[in-house]
Amino acid sequence: MKKIYLHPLPIRIWHWVNAGGFIVLILTGANIRNILNLFSVETAVEIHSWLGFVLLANYFIWLLYYLLTLNIKIYIPPLHHPIEFAKKALRQAIFYGYGLMVGDQNPHHSTPDNKFNPMQQMSYLMIMTVLIPVQIITGLFLWDPKLFSPIVDVVGIQIFDLIHVLLWIFFSAFMIVHFYLATLGHTTWAHIIAMFTGYEEEHEEHGHGEEHGHSH
Amino acid sequence: MDNIKKELSFLFIAFILFPIYAATAHGALSDQAKVCLTCHSGRGMTKTLENKEILLLFIDKEEFAESVHKKSDCNDCHTGYMAAHVSKKRVIKSKREYAINASRVCSMCHPDDQLKKIAMHSPLMAQAACVECHGSHYIQKMAEWKKGINETQYCLTCHRHGLSMHLNSGELLALAINESSYKGSIHGNLLCSACHRDFSKTKHPVRTFTNKREYTVLATKACSTCHPNEQLRKSPVHASLMATATCIQCHGSHAIKGMKIQKIGMDESQYCLTCHRGRLSMTMRNGESLSVYIDEASLKSSAHGTLKCTACHTIFSKTQHPVRAFNNKREYTLINTELCKKCHQNASTQYESSIHYALFKSGNTKAPHCTDCHGNAHSVARARAKTDKTIGLTSCNKCHGELNSSYEASVHNIARIQGKANAPVCSSCHNAHNIESTKMTTKIKEGCFKCHKDMGKVHNKWLKNPPIKTSTFAGAHFDVVSCAACHSPQATRRIYLSLFDCKTGKPLTEEDIIKLLDTDAANLMKKIDTNGDKIIEGKELWGIFSMLWNKGVRTTFMGKMDVSNSAEAHQLGTKKEATRDCDKCHHPESPYFENVFIVISKADGGTTLLPAEKGVLNSIYSIIPARKFYAIGGTNISLFDILFYVALIGGIAVPIGHLSLRIIFSPIKSLRKMGKGGKK
Repeated sequence: MKKIYLHPLPIRIWHWVNAGGFIVLILTGANIRNILNLFSVETAVEIHSWLGFVLLANYFIWLLYYLLTLNIKIYIPPLHHPIEFAKKALRQAIFYGYGLMVGDQNPHHSTPDNKFNPMQQMSYLMIMTVLIPVQIITGLFLWDPKLFSPIVDVVGIQIFDLIHVLLWIFFSAFMIVHFYLATLGHTTWAHIIAMFTGYEEEHEEHGHGEEHGHSH
Repeated sequence: MDNIKKELSFLFIAFILFPIYAATAHGALSDQAKVCLTCHSGRGMTKTLENKEILLLFIDKEEFAESVHKKSDCNDCHTGYMAAHVSKKRVIKSKREYAINASRVCSMCHPDDQLKKIAMHSPLMAQAACVECHGSHYIQKMAEWKKGINETQYCLTCHRHGLSMHLNSGELLALAINESSYKGSIHGNLLCSACHRDFSKTKHPVRTFTNKREYTVLATKACSTCHPNEQLRKSPVHASLMATATCIQCHGSHAIKGMKIQKIGMDESQYCLTCHRGRLSMTMRNGESLSVYIDEASLKSSAHGTLKCTACHTIFSKTQHPVRAFNNKREYTLINTELCKKCHQNASTQYESSIHYALFKSGNTKAPHCTDCHGNAHSVARARAKTDKTIGLTSCNKCHGELNSSYEASVHNIARIQGKANAPVCSSCHNAHNIESTKMTTKIKEGCFKCHKDMGKVHNKWLKNPPIKTSTFAGAHFDVVSCAACHSPQATRRIYLSLFDCKTGKPLTEEDIIKLLDTDAANLMKKIDTNGDKIIEGKELWGIFSMLWNKGVRTTFMGKMDVSNSAEAHQLGTKKEATRDCDKCHHPESPYFENVFIVISKADGGTTLLPAEKGVLNSIYSIIPARKFYAIGGTNISLFDILFYVALIGGIAVPIGHLSLRIIFSPIKSLRKMGKGGKK
């Protein structure tokens, strides 16, 4: 069993802070909307606001790490070879939809320089560069609309609330799917353990295992 | 003993002098008179009275010898005076007192019963002394006396004295004539009977009058003898005044001067007051009567006391007095409000942005103007009133009296009663001139903030959003929650959604909407409340927005939480009584969001309130129309909660579905692992 150091420490810390933060933000979000009733609205808002800022800072840890190490490239799809990229993405989709079930090998082999398969690459690029920043910004607008009134007053706070809530709904579903996908390693816990240790085990039988590159 | 000596001395002197005077004196005089005249014929004989008047004691013996009293002894009238000469020096306060006392003796020969037979005597006897009209030492027989003097002198014999006449109304009509003024007047050469035609040297009817007005009207009739109405009416002012005013109200009577001389001799304001100090009135087209009387004393002590009349009334002067006609008193008042603008430009500009002016512009004649609050311009208080806030309460109560009881129960009025200088009255919060409709405006808070400074910081002590404390967070609340909504205990809160024009930033009025939608007031509701249930649903909210959008007008429903009525807005409690529980507002089931109203402003500053569906703010249709109003809990869009559940179910379904397929396909996977079939 070969081990690859796939998840550096800063990324592991960022990931788990992000994961915990997401879960609590989703739950307190549900509390604020009275879907859950864990706390009073006031307490739920306080927790939600605190964690919002924690994840804001956490986002910059991620951003700075990937920019300073130049590893941000792992998120960038090879759009200069679009047909080849599309073919790879299609192969990956077929693998998840069929190959995985019948025992095909994962067409993608994760390395520190090529961590994500094409589907992950597209998804995480969108999430990390658009959805999370949008969620942070709209969250800030809702946190203190008056502070950002030059923008909020022009567009209308309800529009930002609409975006924030829709993304909250998306992330709620995403978290479930993300957790499930994390179990699709060569063992159920392989990817999850890798995200704690940093080392991903390579399945010896096939040279590289059924892989879902967990980290992003 | 001293008195006896004095008397003996006086008798001795009289005894010595008597033969000399007996030889020289007029034979018609009594002996005693001859003795008295020994001294009193001296021209320089005077007495200085207590009030410093000089009483002439000289008697012209020649003239006295021609009088009807020539045979009388001096002592007959001047009873006791002989003794008084020697006993003590007599103290006389004034000529008037002397005349009254001296006249008392007249009744010894002319008893009151006899005098009262002459009708004129009766009223006069109570106020005038006999000697004031008839004289004393040189009285002639009435018939002879009358022949000897002209009519004017005859009349002035009595009327030069301070005579007056009690009228039935209790008024006192002065009958005194200033002889020199009269002689110097334009009528100085006329006989009294030229005007007072019922009177002459031989007749003086006794009349009674209800009041001065009645007397004046009667007296004025004489004017037309020389100044016919046709002539007077040539002057437009006369023509209008003649119906209500009498000649002498403006021109006076006995001291009247020629108009040109009169104008030269007085300043402009005095000229105006010549007429306007009289009880003049002006009749409006609708028959109302407007007093144009000016109380000179009030005017002088007022804030405008030093101004000339023409400073405000610019179209009037000594030389021009246009005649104006108004439909009613209110129209007159409203037009005259323009006069205030000349000096009070700022206040006027502020006023023109007020709800009061909007009411006026919409045709509401009851809309208040300058004088409705400040009182008559001719008696408006001086600038010291700026420190007197009473006007900011009393004037408002004229129309808004129903709110006074709630104000009186408020913490503000309690502070006022306690004498706190900064305790607010109406104008402290609502402004004095630029009063806006308190419905759907956050400007009322500016009134609160005038006294309650740094409210952002004060509220931030508890109204904060971690982890960073920003004063703007409280400000975000101030924008959409009225102060009263939290500070009026037990108030019922409501949400008001008011339609604003995004371009102008001002409320879109009902009139504007009618025009934009090319409809009329009757059909507007049909266009808004499409299902006719008199409740605005989210879809109908969207309908209003989209109809206006299609007309090129970008609108938004600005939301505000406020109390349900004005009384609640004024009944403000103490700080301890204020609501400061986030969950009371920010909860989907908050009762504060149960009552939602759509506010349509009107051009006159009024509003139409349309009840909205309870969940209108939770409808997806309200997101765009009410995009600027947001409250956690209160404006949650219900559909998103459903979407959340769908997303959760979907999120769970994906793993379950995928896992199921993996289980289903697991035999194939196993076979392939064992190398049986399938590709490598």
